Amino acid sequence: MTATLNQIAVLAAKDLRIEGRTRSTLGLVVVLGVLIISVLGFGIGTQPQLAALGAPSILWVAYLFSGVLCFEKTMATERQDGALAGLLLAPIDRGVIYAGKLASNLILMFAVAAVITPVGVLFFGMDLSAAPLGFVAVIAISMLGFAAIGTLFAGLMSSSRLQGGLLAMVVFPLVLPLVIASTQQVLSPGGTGLAILVAFDAIFLTASWIVFELVLEP
Amino acid sequence: MTLAMTQLPSILGPAMTADAAAIPVRASGLSKSIESRDILRDIDLEIPHGRFIALLGANGAGKSTLLKILSTLNAPTAGTLDLFGISAAASAVKIRRHIGLIGHQTMLYHDLSAMENLVFFAKLYGIADPAGRAMELLTQLGLANRANDPVKAFSRGMAQRVAIARALLHEPRLLLADEPFAGLDAPSTALLERLLTELHGQGKTIILANHDIAQSLRLAQTAIVLAKGRKVIDTHADQLDAGAVLASMENAAADAADGGVA
Repeated sequence: MTATLNQIAVLAAKDLRIEGRTRSTLGLVVVLGVLIISVLGFGIGTQPQLAALGAPSILWVAYLFSGVLCFEKTMATERQDGALAGLLLAPIDRGVIYAGKLASNLILMFAVAAVITPVGVLFFGMDLSAAPLGFVAVIAISMLGFAAIGTLFAGLMSSSRLQGGLLAMVVFPLVLPLVIASTQQVLSPGGTGLAILVAFDAIFLTASWIVFELVLEP
Repeated sequence: MTLAMTQLPSILGPAMTADAAAIPVRASGLSKSIESRDILRDIDLEIPHGRFIALLGANGAGKSTLLKILSTLNAPTAGTLDLFGISAAASAVKIRRHIGLIGHQTMLYHDLSAMENLVFFAKLYGIADPAGRAMELLTQLGLANRANDPVKAFSRGMAQRVAIARALLHEPRLLLADEPFAGLDAPSTALLERLLTELHGQGKTIILANHDIAQSLRLAQTAIVLAKGRKVIDTHADQLDAGAVLASMENAAADAADGGVA
């Protein structure tokens, strides 16, 4: 177990080191997220009621597009000069490779969310004073499920030579239940929303770990 | 012969038999089809320990596909493959610890330094002193003074030397080399030739896929020629000359053009 966790940490650290060196993902993704919030925010206008209701959904639009870019970028590094084959030759379970990619994607997404969420909260005047930690927990749990699916399909797309916007077209419909449950949970905490999010995460994390073996081709 | 083989150190634990040590690669009826196109057809292999094999054939003959299957990167469509006496289909993760692959691609991360690349892979292989082992290999390959430079700043020959270090980090028993000389200049080619010869001298089993027939026959003990996915020649390298190999390739191409089976 410790060895597996170490391998996951080594894999995630490699991705983050490359990102730290190239800064090819974070800067771009943060700017995209802020732009989405601004453009959609201005589109809604200044009506406080509309803004309050629409804010969680708009934040999710920013998370979705930013996340897809993160998934594509971290998987693209494996396609340079056959690096993925080197990784697949290592004596590690391919589920571990999935977990490593998931960890680095999640860290990148949390970093992006740490910038664009406060921007959205301020822009739309969201009142989180009742349960600020609950809001953070809901977003974190939702992002885990989103990253679980995104990482799996980014691997699939990179192996099948299907690139570009196709990842968004495949992933967005799949995460729709997660987005609905997440926004409802933010707007009206309580109910079954949190249970749906946790179940979604558990199902997709388990399934992705198992099928990643079949997804990756050198 | 049997006694000598039983004295080999066990690489997969006590369960490894003398036969497995003597014949690290045993394949039967290996076939691979991609989108209903046959890439490999019914390949049988029995490669003894410490043998240097040259895998020859024209473009599209199936050399790279065969090496990918032997490295456990790809699974065959049909047939069985045992590496070190263990089924590759059942225990690929265990087997990978003993396989090294050098390709025409470096399989390195260009934004990381040579040292960072090697330490990363060494950690995945569970090597006790990743930095020490990485520096040892970089020193052997004449790159110690460039250890901290990013791979993207390296020439093709230098990057290939780092790739060789990556393949040798875990001291594999079976070394697979897929067109490793592609794009190398003369000094780098000479260095790699010398290295392969040394590794063979250390008892490693080597399978080299290469377009240069004369060079392959000079380096290897056994030549296997593939044509249109089939094994057409499997004999001692010193019993062949480049002309005979070339003729077998041309015959296979002519058969294929006539609609026959190569």
